[in-house]
Amino acid sequence: MVLDDLGSSLRGTLDKLRGKSRISEEDVDEIVKEIQRSLLQADVDVSLVMDLSDSIKERSLEEEPPGGTSARDHVLRIVYEELVGLVGDSTEIPLESQTIMLAGLQGSGKTTTAAKMAWWFSKKGLRPAVIQTDTFRPGAYDQAKQMADRAEVEFYGDPDADDPVQIARDGLEATADADVHIVDTAGRHALEDDLISEIEEIESVVEPDRSLLVLDAAIGQGAKDQARQFDDSIGIDGVAITKLDGTAKGGGALTAVDETGSTIAFLGSGETVQDIERFEPDSFISRLLGMGDLKQLTERVERAMEETQEGEDDWDPEDLMKGEFTLKDMRKQMKAMDNMGPLDQVMDMIPGMGGGLMDQLPDDAMDVTQDRMRNFEVIMDSMTEAELENPRSIGASQVRRIAKGSGQSEDAIRELLDQHKMMAQTMKQFQGMGDGDMQRMMKKMQQGGGGGGGGGFGGMF
Amino acid sequence: MFDGLKDKLSNFREDAEEVAEENAEAIEDDEQAAAEAEAVADGEPVEAQAGAAAGDGADAAAGDVADAEAASADPDSADDEPDEESSGGFMSKASSLARGRVIIEEDDLEGPLRELEFALLESDVEMSVAEAILDQIREDLVGEEKKFTKSTGSLVESALRDALLSVIDVDGFDFEDAIANTEKPVTVVFTGVNGVGKTTTIAKLGKRLEDQGYSVVLANGDTYRAGANEQLQEHADNLDMKLISHEQGGDPTAVVYDAVEYAKANDIDVVLGDTAGRLHTSSDLMQQLEKLDRVVDPDYTIFVDEAVAGQDAVNRASEFDDAAAIDGTILTMADADSQGGAAISVSHVTGKPILFLGTGQGYDDIQPFDPDALVDDLLAD
Repeated sequence: MVLDDLGSSLRGTLDKLRGKSRISEEDVDEIVKEIQRSLLQADVDVSLVMDLSDSIKERSLEEEPPGGTSARDHVLRIVYEELVGLVGDSTEIPLESQTIMLAGLQGSGKTTTAAKMAWWFSKKGLRPAVIQTDTFRPGAYDQAKQMADRAEVEFYGDPDADDPVQIARDGLEATADADVHIVDTAGRHALEDDLISEIEEIESVVEPDRSLLVLDAAIGQGAKDQARQFDDSIGIDGVAITKLDGTAKGGGALTAVDETGSTIAFLGSGETVQDIERFEPDSFISRLLGMGDLKQLTERVERAMEETQEGEDDWDPEDLMKGEFTLKDMRKQMKAMDNMGPLDQVMDMIPGMGGGLMDQLPDDAMDVTQDRMRNFEVIMDSMTEAELENPRSIGASQVRRIAKGSGQSEDAIRELLDQHKMMAQTMKQFQGMGDGDMQRMMKKMQQGGGGGGGGGFGGMF
Repeated sequence: MFDGLKDKLSNFREDAEEVAEENAEAIEDDEQAAAEAEAVADGEPVEAQAGAAAGDGADAAAGDVADAEAASADPDSADDEPDEESSGGFMSKASSLARGRVIIEEDDLEGPLRELEFALLESDVEMSVAEAILDQIREDLVGEEKKFTKSTGSLVESALRDALLSVIDVDGFDFEDAIANTEKPVTVVFTGVNGVGKTTTIAKLGKRLEDQGYSVVLANGDTYRAGANEQLQEHADNLDMKLISHEQGGDPTAVVYDAVEYAKANDIDVVLGDTAGRLHTSSDLMQQLEKLDRVVDPDYTIFVDEAVAGQDAVNRASEFDDAAAIDGTILTMADADSQGGAAISVSHVTGKPILFLGTGQGYDDIQPFDPDALVDDLLAD
C-alpha cells in the first residue's frame, strides 16, 4: 500500500516526542527528514516532498499547540492534516449512467482495470460495457474480451478495424443499452505526439464524463510529466493505481493527483476482476498513522469467508462453534486467513495489532508464520480423512508415516498437532459463549491480545 | 532518456567545481602569506576560512610561528591530522592554478552533495544507490589533497565519472558474444512483472537475432494472461517465426521445454522463451519460475523492466534474481522516460549489466546499452 513504511518510521520518530511539552527545532528537523525519506522512497515527486515537509516544519514550530496537547499529538495532527491535504478525497463516481475513458502508459494495466471497474459497477447494480479501442497492440482485443467475459460484462471491440476513433463511435452505438460505458485505449506515453493527438480525437468522439489516468504503482518521478501531458490533452479527473499487490508504494499517484488537480479513484491489487477497491482516504490515512482500519478488515474477512466457502457449501464458520474442532476446520481457517491477503497487511488493520506492536515483531515474523502455515497445509495433505477428523488418534507410527509422506520433520507434525490442540481448547471456551457470535469472538481475541494460548492464530507467533 | 539526469548532473558539477575553485584560491593566498612571513608551519592548506584566518595571523605577527600554528590548530583539532600530513607536500609550491592542488573539506561539499542526492532521486535513482554514489564522491573528493592538471573542473568530473561507472558498469556479460559462443540451441528466458513489455521485447530481439543471421523459435511460457498467445502469435506471424505455445492454463515449463526440443530437431539457433508477468510478491508464480529455471535450465535469463519504474525497480530486480538468477536486464519504454535512474539502480543492485534499451513500438526500436557511452554522454558539455 502507498506509504506503508512511513507509518512505522514516523511512529518511531514521533515516539521520541513522548512526554515533551515543547518541541525543539531539532525534533522537527528529524521528523521532517524521516517523512522526506519515506515519501521519496515511495516515489513521490521531489519538489512535492519538499513543499510538504516545509509546511509541516513551519506549522510545527509556529503554531501554538492547543492547551493540554502534548508535543507529539500536536505534530501528529499537523502531519495528518498535511497528508490529508496531499491525498485529497476519493474521486467522486456517481452510481448513474456515464462514460469513463481510461488512458495511460503501455503496460500500466488499463485493460485489466477496465474489466475490474466494469465488474465493480455491475456489483453496484448498473449495467456496464467495456469498449476496447486498442488497435495497436497484438492480442489486445483477445485480452480485453477474455477479461470482460470473466467480469461477465458486455464487451465491444473489432479485431479487424484499425481506426480507434471509429471503434469508439461504433462501440458506443452498439452498447447503447448499457448504463456505464468504459472506454479502454491503447497505451501511449506523453512524448508520442501522434498518439497523443489520437487520444484527443477519441476523447472528442466519446465525450467521457470522466477520464481516468491508469498508473502503475511502480512508476517513478516520470509520473509528473506523464500526468501533466495527459491532463493537458484530455483532462484527467481521477487516477487508478494498479499493481498495489507488489512492493511499490504508488507515490507516483500522489504526484499525478497533485499535478492534475484530481483525486484517486480506484486501487487495483491483483489479476482477477474482483481485485479492485474504491480509494478511501480515511482508511488510508488512519492505516498510515497506525490507527488500524477495522472497516477494511471486516470487508476482507467477509470476502475471504465467501471465497473459502465457494464449492464447499457444507462449511459454515459458525460450525466452529459446534461440536469437535477438527484438523479440517483448522485447515479451513488457515485458508480463510490466506485469502485475506498477506498476513502483515491484515495484522496492520487490526487496531492495537498494527502499528506499534507490528514494529516490535522481528521483520520476518510474518514470513515465518506464513511459511509455517504453508507447511501445515502440506502436512495435512498427507493425512487420511480419519486422521483429519480425529487428530487425537494419531500415534507415533502415524506421525512417522505422515512425516515421510509430506517431507516434513516429525517435530513439525507434532508442532501441528500441538497447535491444533491449543486451538481446539480455545474454541471450546468460545463455545461456552453460546450463540457463536463471530464478532464477540473477535472481541475476546482482541482483549486477550492473543493471550491464553492464543485465540485463533495468536499463538503462532 | 537520461536528459533529465544530465541536466541535474551538470548543476552539481558547477557547484562542486565552484567549491573546488574557492579552495584552490585559498591555498594560493595562503601560500603567499606564508611566503611573506617566511613561516613554514602555518601554511597548512586547511579549509578556506581557517586558511584565511591563518593568513591574517601571519600578516599581523609575521614570524610568530607558534602563535599562528596554535590558531590554526585549535579551532579544528579534530581535523588536525590530515592537515599535518599534507603540510609536508605543500612545501613543493604549486607553480600556477592550472597545475595545482586542492583540498576540499566535507562541509564545503555538503551543499552540492545534498543537491546531487535530490537530483539523483528526482531521476529515479534508488535511494541506497544514490547514497552509494554520494559516498564514493565524498571519499574521492573530500579531505585528501588532490592534484589537478588542467582545472578543478576535471577533478570533479573524474570523481563523478568514477562514481557513476562504479555503480553502472558491472562485469561484462555481452549478449551478442554469449549468443555467438554458446552451443546451439541457445535458450533465453525472459522474466519480469506484468506490463513491462516482455513480449514486445522478445519480438524485437527475435528480429534482431534473425537480422544477424540466427534462426529463432519463440516459446510462449505465458499461459496465464488473457490474450497472451494471440499477442505473441501475431508477432510471430509478422516476423515469420515459429511459435511454440500450449493452451491457456498449461505448464509454462512444458512449453519452453517443447520449444527447446523443437529447436534441436530443426536445427534452430536460439529459443526465446516468454513468461507470464508476475509480481514478485506472488509466491506461487515465483515458484513456477523457479521450476522453469530448474527444469529447462536456460542458458541465459534476462530480466525485463520499464525505464519509468521508480524506487521499486531494485526491489523486484533482486527478487527475480533470487528466483531465477538473471544474466542481464533490458529496460523498455526508454523513450517515455527522461530520467534514466532505473538503469543505474538496477545494474548496481543486481550486479548484472543492462543489455538493451527498448525505445519505441517498432520492431527495430531496440538499442544495445553501453555504460561508458552513457557516462560520457551524461558528462558531456
